[in-house]
Amino acid sequence: MARLTIDRVNKSFGAFRALDNVSVEVANGEFMAVLGPSGCGKTTLLRQIAGFDKLDSGRIAIGDTVVSTEQLHIPPERRHIGIVFQSYALWPHMTVAENVAYGLAVAGIRNPERSRRVTAALTLVELDGFAERRPALLSGGQRQRVALARCLVTEPSLVLLDEPLANLDVHLRASMEDEFARFHARTGTTMIYITHDQAEAMALADRIAVMDKGRLLQVATPSQLYREPADPTVAEFIGEGMVLPVEIRSVDGRGTCHADLYGHGVRMRCANSQRPTPAARACLRARDLRIVLPTASGMGARIDHAIYQGGYFRLEAHVDAAPEMLLHLAVPEPFLLTPGAAITLDVADGWVIPAAPDDGEGRRAK
Amino acid sequence: MNIALRHRFFLIAGLVAGIAAGPAAAQAPAGKLVLYTSQPERDAAQTVSAFRKVYPGVDVEVFRSGTTEVMGKLAAEFAGGQARADVLLLADAATMESLKRAGRLLPYPDARLAGLEPGSYDVDKTYFGSKLITTGIAVNTSVKARPASFADLAKPEYKAQMTMPSPLYSGAAAIMLGTMTTRADLGWGYFEKLKAADAIAVRGNGAVLAAVANGEKSYGILVDFMAFNAKAKGSPIDFIFPAEGSPAVTEPVAILKTTQNAAAARAFVDFILSDEGQKLAVSMGYIPAKAAVGMPSWLPAGTKIVVMPTDIPRVAEANSANLKRFAEIFGN
Amino acid sequence: MHPTAELRGPFEDHALLWGLVFVVGILSVLPLARLVLEAVAPDGEWSAQALTRVLSSSTTWTATRHSLVTALGGTLLAVAIGAVVALIVSLTDIRGRNAFVFCFVLPMMIAPQVLALAWLQLFGPSSPLLRMIGVAPSPGKNPLYSPEGIILVLGVQYAPLVFLTLRAGLRALPRELIEAGLAGGAGPLTVLRTVVLPLMTPPLVAGVALSFVSCLGNFGIAALLGIPANYLVLPTLIYQRLAGLGPGVLSEVSALSMLIGFIAVAGLLLQDLMTRRRDFRISTASSVARPFELRRWRLPVEALLWTFSILVLALPLIALVLASLVPAVGVPLTVKTATLGNYDFVLFGHAAAKRALINSFTLSAIAAIVIVLIAVPLAYFLVWRRSRPLALIGLLIEMPYALPGVVLAIAAILLFLKPLPLVGLSLYNTVWIILFCYLARFLVLGLRPVISGYRQIDRTLEEASQIAGARLLRRLRTIILPLVAPAASAGALLIFLMAFNELTVSALLWSSGAETLGVILFSFQQGGDSTYAAALGALTVVVTTALMLLTLFMAGKLPPGVLPWRD
Repeated sequence: MARLTIDRVNKSFGAFRALDNVSVEVANGEFMAVLGPSGCGKTTLLRQIAGFDKLDSGRIAIGDTVVSTEQLHIPPERRHIGIVFQSYALWPHMTVAENVAYGLAVAGIRNPERSRRVTAALTLVELDGFAERRPALLSGGQRQRVALARCLVTEPSLVLLDEPLANLDVHLRASMEDEFARFHARTGTTMIYITHDQAEAMALADRIAVMDKGRLLQVATPSQLYREPADPTVAEFIGEGMVLPVEIRSVDGRGTCHADLYGHGVRMRCANSQRPTPAARACLRARDLRIVLPTASGMGARIDHAIYQGGYFRLEAHVDAAPEMLLHLAVPEPFLLTPGAAITLDVADGWVIPAAPDDGEGRRAK
Repeated sequence: MNIALRHRFFLIAGLVAGIAAGPAAAQAPAGKLVLYTSQPERDAAQTVSAFRKVYPGVDVEVFRSGTTEVMGKLAAEFAGGQARADVLLLADAATMESLKRAGRLLPYPDARLAGLEPGSYDVDKTYFGSKLITTGIAVNTSVKARPASFADLAKPEYKAQMTMPSPLYSGAAAIMLGTMTTRADLGWGYFEKLKAADAIAVRGNGAVLAAVANGEKSYGILVDFMAFNAKAKGSPIDFIFPAEGSPAVTEPVAILKTTQNAAAARAFVDFILSDEGQKLAVSMGYIPAKAAVGMPSWLPAGTKIVVMPTDIPRVAEANSANLKRFAEIFGN
Repeated sequence: MHPTAELRGPFEDHALLWGLVFVVGILSVLPLARLVLEAVAPDGEWSAQALTRVLSSSTTWTATRHSLVTALGGTLLAVAIGAVVALIVSLTDIRGRNAFVFCFVLPMMIAPQVLALAWLQLFGPSSPLLRMIGVAPSPGKNPLYSPEGIILVLGVQYAPLVFLTLRAGLRALPRELIEAGLAGGAGPLTVLRTVVLPLMTPPLVAGVALSFVSCLGNFGIAALLGIPANYLVLPTLIYQRLAGLGPGVLSEVSALSMLIGFIAVAGLLLQDLMTRRRDFRISTASSVARPFELRRWRLPVEALLWTFSILVLALPLIALVLASLVPAVGVPLTVKTATLGNYDFVLFGHAAAKRALINSFTLSAIAAIVIVLIAVPLAYFLVWRRSRPLALIGLLIEMPYALPGVVLAIAAILLFLKPLPLVGLSLYNTVWIILFCYLARFLVLGLRPVISGYRQIDRTLEEASQIAGARLLRRLRTIILPLVAPAASAGALLIFLMAFNELTVSALLWSSGAETLGVILFSFQQGGDSTYAAALGALTVVVTTALMLLTLFMAGKLPPGVLPWRD
C-alpha cells in the first residue's frame, strides 16, 4: 500500500502542453478518480505515473520512493504497480491462466504457490474454470476481469485503471463498478481511476481530480465537486451544470447570499470569502429548477424541446431575458406542454463560483 | 648381437639412410599450393588430382571462376596487401601480360620447354601456354547453309541467327576481338557488319554452346573443345575451322611473385608442361601445346589448323580501347 | 529502493542496444567504409580520380538511368503480382490454398539464373511448348533480351518476396474490421481499398522497399538478359569494369558502388516518409477470417492463379528436369537417349557438388537464424525507441544488400585478407568469410519484415508486461517474439532461400572445401556442362521441397502464421 505524490509535473510534446503544473496527493488506500474530457491529459498523467514517459519537470513519488524527476526515472518494471489498460492488453498467444500468472513467473514464484495465487485471483473476479481459454474467445467483460486479475495477482501497492469500463455495455458497466468498489473495500489498495464518465467517478471515488487541457482544475470529494465546483469548466462538466451570470447583492456570511439572475432574485450558496459583485457566475443544476405557475415569481422562459427519458422528461428551455442561454431541467411524466410554450422557472438553489485568481497560473489544488 | 648394440646399429643405419635420401627428400615439393584458375570445373578437378598423383606431398587449394572473377579477386588481394595465390592458370595470354607488366609474376627461367612452340610462352619466361584453344564456328546440325569462314557469318542468309561470346565479359573473346580487328580482311568493319546482321553477344562460351546446341541460334562463335566435347556426348552441333584461320588462346600457367611455396609452384608448372600433363590435356579434349604428345580424338587425322597470329603485348595494350569501341558498335 | 536495482533496468537496455549497434557496425558499416576508403584513397593516398572518372563518364549515367527504369518497373510488377496473390490467398475462399502458396514460393528455391534460362528457352524460337501451340517466334531476337524482358523477369522473380511480407501482415488483420466495412454497405473492393490496404501499409512498404533494393542490385538477370541486348545497368557496368582489368579498377568499382548506394538510400528515404506519421496498430485479439466469398468468380480466379503458377514454376521445372535427363545439350529427349548419368556425376563423381549442397544449406540456415535473432531486438529499438542515429543505422543496413554481390565480396576480401587482429585467425578462403557476407547482405531481409510486424503490434501489450515486472530481454523473449513470429519467420524464409542459391557473393570468396551451390552451378554452365547444371538444379529443388514439406510436420508446435503455406 502506498500513497502517491505528484508535485508540479510538467510535460510537453513539442508545442503541445500535455501536463501543466499538475500537483496532487493521493492518500494511502484512497480511490481517486481522474476525470476530464478527451485530450485533457489524464492518460498522459497515467503514463507518467506508470513510468512509460519521462516528465519535463516536477516530481513523482510512490510511497516514500521518488520514481520520477528531471534527472531520475525508474522504469515501469521496477515500480511495483498494476495497470488495467483500456484495451485490456491481454497477450493473445497465452491462455487466461498464463496471462494472470505472468507477473508471478517474472518474480520467480514457482508452482504450487503460483497456481494457487492464480486460481485465487480468478476466483476473485469470478472466472473459475476459464483458466485454459484464449483471450480471443472471451467476451469484453470477461477480458476485463482477466485484466483485473492479472493486475491484482502480484499484489501491487498502487493500481491504475485506464478507462476500464469504456468498452462495456451499460449493464456490464454497472456490475463491474460494483466489482471495483467491492475490491477496493476488501483490499484497501490505493487506486487511480482514469475516466471521462463522471457518473462512474462519482459512484466509485473517494475524491475526484478534474482535469482539462493539461491543468488540474479541482480535487475534491464527489459531493463537494457537485455542490461547490471551483471553476466554470468543472461546473459544466459535473452534473451538466449550467453556468449563468449573476449579480451578488448581499452576502450573509453563513455561506449563503442573495443574487440577481436575469432579474429574478435567488438565494444561493457561496464561499465564505465571497463579496457582493455585479459580475459573478453561478452554477445551477437541473434539480434546482422547477416550473411554477405563471403568477409566481420566476424567470420567463420558452420551451425548446422535451425529450422523454423513461418516467420523466428532460426539458430544454430558453430564458426570455437571454435567449442564447439554454437551461435544462427534469419534469415528471406526463408533460403536456409543447415546444414554443411559455413557462416560468423558479430557481431554488445555486452555487456562486469563486472568482479565479489573477496570477494567470493554474489552480493549486489540495 | 646384444640388444644395446642392435639398437645402435639400427640407429646408424637409419641415419645413413636418412642422409642418402636427404637431398632427394628435400627436392620433393610439399606443403600447400594455392591455384587460381578459369578452367572449366571438371577440368580443373582432373588437373589437380593428376598433379597430386605425381606430387603427393602437395596439398592443393583451388579457386575456380571466370577470368573476371579471378582477376577481381586478385585485384582485391593486391589492394589488401597480401596475394594468396601461388600459381595461376588463366584463359589467355593478354591477361598474363597485364599481370607481368604490373610486376606480379615470378619468372621461371629453368622451365623445361622442349617441344613447345616459341610463340606459346613469354620471352621472359613468366608465363607458359599449356594448350591451344582455337575459336571457330559452331553450327547446329539441323541447318542447311554452312558458313566456311568468319566473313560468311556476316552474310544476309545468316541474319539474326548468330551468337558470340561478349569480349566485355570474356578474356578469350577479348583476344579474338583484338586479333581479328588488326587483320585487313576482317577489321572493325567485320564487327559492324555482324551488328547489322543482328548478331548478339552473350556472356561466355557456355552460353553460346547452350544456344547453338538447343537450336535457339543456328550459328555461333565458339571455342573448339567445348563444341567437340558436346558433340561426342551426342549434342547436335558441328564445328567448322574458319578459312581465315583460327584465333587462339593458350591457357597459360604462371607463378606469382608473392608465392609462399616456390618449389611446389615450379613443380606445378613442370607438371603442366610435362608429357604427362600434356597427355592429360589431350584426354580432356584439348589440343596440347606440345604437339608431339598427340591430338584429341575429335580432330580428324591430318587436319591442319591455321592459327591467326596474335601480337600479345599489342593486344594487351589496346584492350580497353577495343572494348570501348566494341561497346559502341553494339549499341551501348 | 536499492540504488543498483534502479540502475539495472536501463543498463540492460543500453547494453543490448550498444551490443546490437556494434554487431551492425561490423556487418554493415565496416565493409562500406572499406569500400569508400578504396574509392577515395586507393593505395593509401587521397585521390578523387576514380570518382571524377566515374561521374563524368556518360556510360555511368546511361547505366544509372537504366537501373532506375528496371528497378522501378520490376518493383511495380513484383508488388502488383505479390500483393494481388497475397490478398486473394489470405482474404478469399479459394480452394487448395496451402498447395498454391507452396508452389508460389517454390521458384525462389531455384537459382535465378537457372530459372531465367529456362524461361529464355521456353519463350524462344526453339521452345517445344510454343512450337506445339504454333506461336513460336521466328528465329531472331528473343523478346526477353530487352529492358521489358528484364522488368518482366525481375517482377516475377521478386513477387514471392512481396507476397511473403504481405501475407505475414494480413494474418494480423482481424475479421471485425472488414466485417464493419461490409456491414456499412461498402462492396468488397471498396473495403479492400479503404480498410485493408491502408492498414497493410507497413508490410506493403516493407515489400516495396525490399523489392526495389533487390531489383537495383540484381546482377544475374540483368546480365543474362541485358548483355545480349547491350542494355547496361549499374551492376553489369561494375562487372564490365572489373573485366576490363585496367589499373585502378577497384577504386572505380568502389565509386560506382557508392552511386548505387545513394540511389538505394534515396529510394528508401522516400518510402520511409510514407509510413512516418501514420498509425497502423491493430490491438484486437480476435481471430482471422476470410470473409470474401468469390462465388461465380471463384473458378476463374483459381484457374488464373494456377495458370500463373504453372507458367512460373511447373514449366521451368519440367524444362529443368528434361534438360537433366539428356546426355548432352540439345539432344532431343527420347526413351533411348534418357540417362541418369548427369545425376550420377553430380552425386557421386564430383565431390564438390555434394559439399556445395551441404555448405549452402548450413550457411543459409545459420544466416537465417542468426539474422532473425539480431533483427528482433534491433527492430525493437528502431521502431519503439526511435532516434536519429538509429534511423541512420537502419539505412546503412540496406547497403550491403543493395550493392552488387561482387562488390560486397571485394570489400570482404579487403577486410579479411589478413588474419584478424587480436585472435590471429584468418577467415579468408573459408566458409566463414562467406557467412560474414551472408549476414551482412541479408540482414535487411530479416529486418524489414520484422519492423513491419512491430508496427502492427499494440505497444500496450509490451507495456503490460513491463508493469508485470519483466525486463527487456524477458519481454523480447516471452511477449514480443511470439507476436512478431510470423513476420520473423517470413524473413528467415526469405534469407534462407536467397542465400541458398546465391552466386555473386561466393563467386569470389569460395575455395576448395568451401564451395556453394550457386558457384558450382555457375561453373557448370560456364564450362558448357549445362546438363550437370540442370541435374544439380533439379536436385536442389527436390531437397528444398523435402525440407519445406518436413516443416509441415512440425507446424503444430509453431505459433500460427509462421509457415506461409499452412493456415
